[in-house]
Amino acid sequence: MKWQPDSKVLLQGINHPLGTYYATQMKDSGTQLVAGVSVGQGGEVLADIPIFDLVEEAVNQFGIIEMSVILNPAYEVLDAALEAIAAGIKQLIIVSSGVPPLDMISLLRKAETSHTFILGSGSQGLLIPDKLSVGTLDISSYSPGKVGIISHCDALTDDIARELTQAGLGQSFVVSLGTDGLIGSNFEQWLQVLEEDEQTEVILLLGQPNSHGEIKAADYIASAIEKPVIAYLAGRYATLDKHFGDSTTIIANQLSQVFPVINSVQKTIIAFEKAKIPVTKKPWELPSLINTALKKTKLVDKEDS
Amino acid sequence: MDLLEYQAKELFQKVGIPILPSQTIHDIGELKRLHIPYPVVLKSQVRAGGRGKVGGIRFVENTIDGIAAASAIFNLPISNEYPEVILAEAHYDSQSEFFLAIVLDYQLQCPVLLGSSKGGMDVDTLLQNMEKVVLTDNFSAFHARHLAVKMGLTGELIAVVSDIVEKMYHLFLSADLDIIEINPLGVKNNGEVMALDGKIAINDSAIARHPDLSLWTNHELNFASPLRWLKGDIKSGEIGLICNSYGLALSSWDLIREQQGKLAGALILEDNHQSLSLGNQLELALEKMRELPKLKVIFINILGTNETSEVVADVISQYLQPAFLPRSDDRMTRPTGANSLGRERSPMKENSNREYVPIVIRLVKGNLEPFQAKVSALPIYWNTSLEQCIADTLSLVDSDA
Repeated sequence: MKWQPDSKVLLQGINHPLGTYYATQMKDSGTQLVAGVSVGQGGEVLADIPIFDLVEEAVNQFGIIEMSVILNPAYEVLDAALEAIAAGIKQLIIVSSGVPPLDMISLLRKAETSHTFILGSGSQGLLIPDKLSVGTLDISSYSPGKVGIISHCDALTDDIARELTQAGLGQSFVVSLGTDGLIGSNFEQWLQVLEEDEQTEVILLLGQPNSHGEIKAADYIASAIEKPVIAYLAGRYATLDKHFGDSTTIIANQLSQVFPVINSVQKTIIAFEKAKIPVTKKPWELPSLINTALKKTKLVDKEDS
Repeated sequence: MDLLEYQAKELFQKVGIPILPSQTIHDIGELKRLHIPYPVVLKSQVRAGGRGKVGGIRFVENTIDGIAAASAIFNLPISNEYPEVILAEAHYDSQSEFFLAIVLDYQLQCPVLLGSSKGGMDVDTLLQNMEKVVLTDNFSAFHARHLAVKMGLTGELIAVVSDIVEKMYHLFLSADLDIIEINPLGVKNNGEVMALDGKIAINDSAIARHPDLSLWTNHELNFASPLRWLKGDIKSGEIGLICNSYGLALSSWDLIREQQGKLAGALILEDNHQSLSLGNQLELALEKMRELPKLKVIFINILGTNETSEVVADVISQYLQPAFLPRSDDRMTRPTGANSLGRERSPMKENSNREYVPIVIRLVKGNLEPFQAKVSALPIYWNTSLEQCIADTLSLVDSDA
C-alpha cells in the first residue's frame, strides 16, 4: 500500500456543495489533483482543474491516475467507485457517508478481485502535512511532525489535530478510516503502516468505543506495535441505536430484546486497559499524554544506544 | 428501522412466504367485523421482543373474549411501548417450530444465513442449536440448502425450508435489510410451513431509496426530523447540543455526562443535508431546542471553514437579537449582502425572552470580531477552548437553578 505524494488524483462528484472548496484545499496541500468528474459539466473548469463527464475521459487525458476521491451522494457511491475501478484507479477514498451496507459489500468484493484499495465510506481521507491531502481533512489544522493519527471519528479529527498543532505537536501521517458500519480498511493495516513509517514516533488512535474494530486494534497493538499508542474514544455515554456487531450477537440481542444491547463500550475500554494503551476522557489532555509518551521513547532510545 | 410484525408479514406475502390469514385491528370495534373465523390469536404490534411472555399475545374463542383481550392488550405497554395496532390471526397447530434469519454481519462484512431447528420462545435452546452459513460470495440457492442440512433437516423439508430462505434472501437484498427473521416457522408433518412471526429491520442508510417502505417510518417518533438527532432525555434534559459533526457531538456529550450534566439531546448539522443549508439547519435546530421543556443552556460546537463560522454567527445573532434588543435599535439592521440565510421569523410572543436560554458557543475559525461586537449585549458565552465551553455550559445549568 503505497501513498506517494506525487500520485495523480481525481475528484469524483466535484459538484458536491463543498466540492470546489475541497479541491482547492487538496491542491494547496501539494496534492497533484489533475481533474474532476461531474456528469454534465464536462469541458468546464472548476478550482483550476478540468472537469470530465466520465472517469475514463480523465484517464485518457492524463494517463494513469492513482487515486480518486469520491464525494458523490451516498446512493451513487457504488456506481462511482465501480467506474473508477473500471478505469484502472487502484486507490479510492470514499468521503460520502451513509452508503447502504449492501452497496459496500458489492464494492468490497469487487475491490478484492481487482486489487483496489478502499478507504471509507465516510472517510475524511488521508493527509501528510505539506505533502499530500486526499479527502476533506482541514489542512490548516495540521502541521508536519511526529504524531501519526488513525481516526475512526469524523471531523472531530480536525479539532483534535488543531489542539495538537497548537501545542507544538505536528503530525507525520493522518488517516481517517470512515464512520460507516462497513468500511474498506481497518486499524491493523494502518497501525502497521505507521509502525513502519520513519517520521512517526507516536500513534494517536481516535476511536468509537462501541465498535468491534477498536477491540481488534487494541489486541493488535498489544501484540505487534512497538511505538507508543495513545487513544481517545468518543461516544462512551451516547445511546446509540446501531450495534455493528457479528450476526450471533445481533440475533441474541434481538431475541432477548427485553434486556437489550450488551455493553460493548465496557468491553472496548477493558481491551485498551489490557493492551496498556493510555485512554483519555478529556481530549485537551492529549498533548500532555503524547509528550509523556515521546519522552519515554527517547529515554528507551538512550538506554538502547 | 424495525418494522412491526404485520408490516413484515406484508413483505413476506409479496415474495411468497406463506402467512396465515390475518387482519389488523386499530380499535376494539373492528373485532365485530372480523373476517377470519374463531379461534383467533390477538397479537400486540410492538417492536420489543418477549411480548408473548408478558401477555401481549392472547388466544380467543369468540367476539366477547376477543374484545376483552384486545382491550387488555391495547392497555399493556411492552418495554414502554403501547401498541397502536393489534394483529388478529388464525390459529395454527404446528408439529415443530424452526428459526430462520438472515443478518448483516458487520464483522465478517457480509450477510449470514442463520437457522435453528429449535425455534420458538426458548431462546437458550434456540441459540444452542443455531447453524450458520456465511455468504462470502454472492448468494445461490445451494447456500440455503446447506443451511437446511446443517439444521439437521432431511427429505422433503430440505427443499421446503431452503425455498423459504431463498425468498427471505430475495427480500433482504431487494429491500436493503439489516435483519430478516422468521421465528417461529411453523412446520406440519405433511411438510406445510407457515411464517408465524417475523421481524424485519430495514437499514437506516438505505431507507430513503425505498419510498414504498419509508411510508411505515412516519409512525416513528422523531423529534428532530429532518435534522440528525442524538437522543437524550427530551422531558427533563437541561442541556442541548448543536454540533456540525457527529464525532464532535459524541465528544461533547461524553464530557458533559462525565460531569453529571443532563442532556436533552444533540442536533447534528450536516454539510451535505438533503434539503436544508447549514444556516437553515441551525435556525431549525434553535427552534427545536425551544420545544425542550427543561432546557437551561445550549452548547453550540462548530468546526469547519471560515464561511461556516460566519454563517453560524450570523444566524445566532439574528436569532437572539429580536428577543433581547428593542426593535428600534439600529444595531439590529444587518448588512444586506449577508442576508441570504435569513427567513421570515414568526411573530414574537409576549414575554418570550424567558424562552431564550443562554448559548455557549465554540467557533474555532473565521473572523468573528463583528460577531462578538454584535452579540456583546446578548447571553452568549463565546470561547474557542472546549474545556472552557464545557465548564461554562455546566455552570450555566447550576446558576439557573
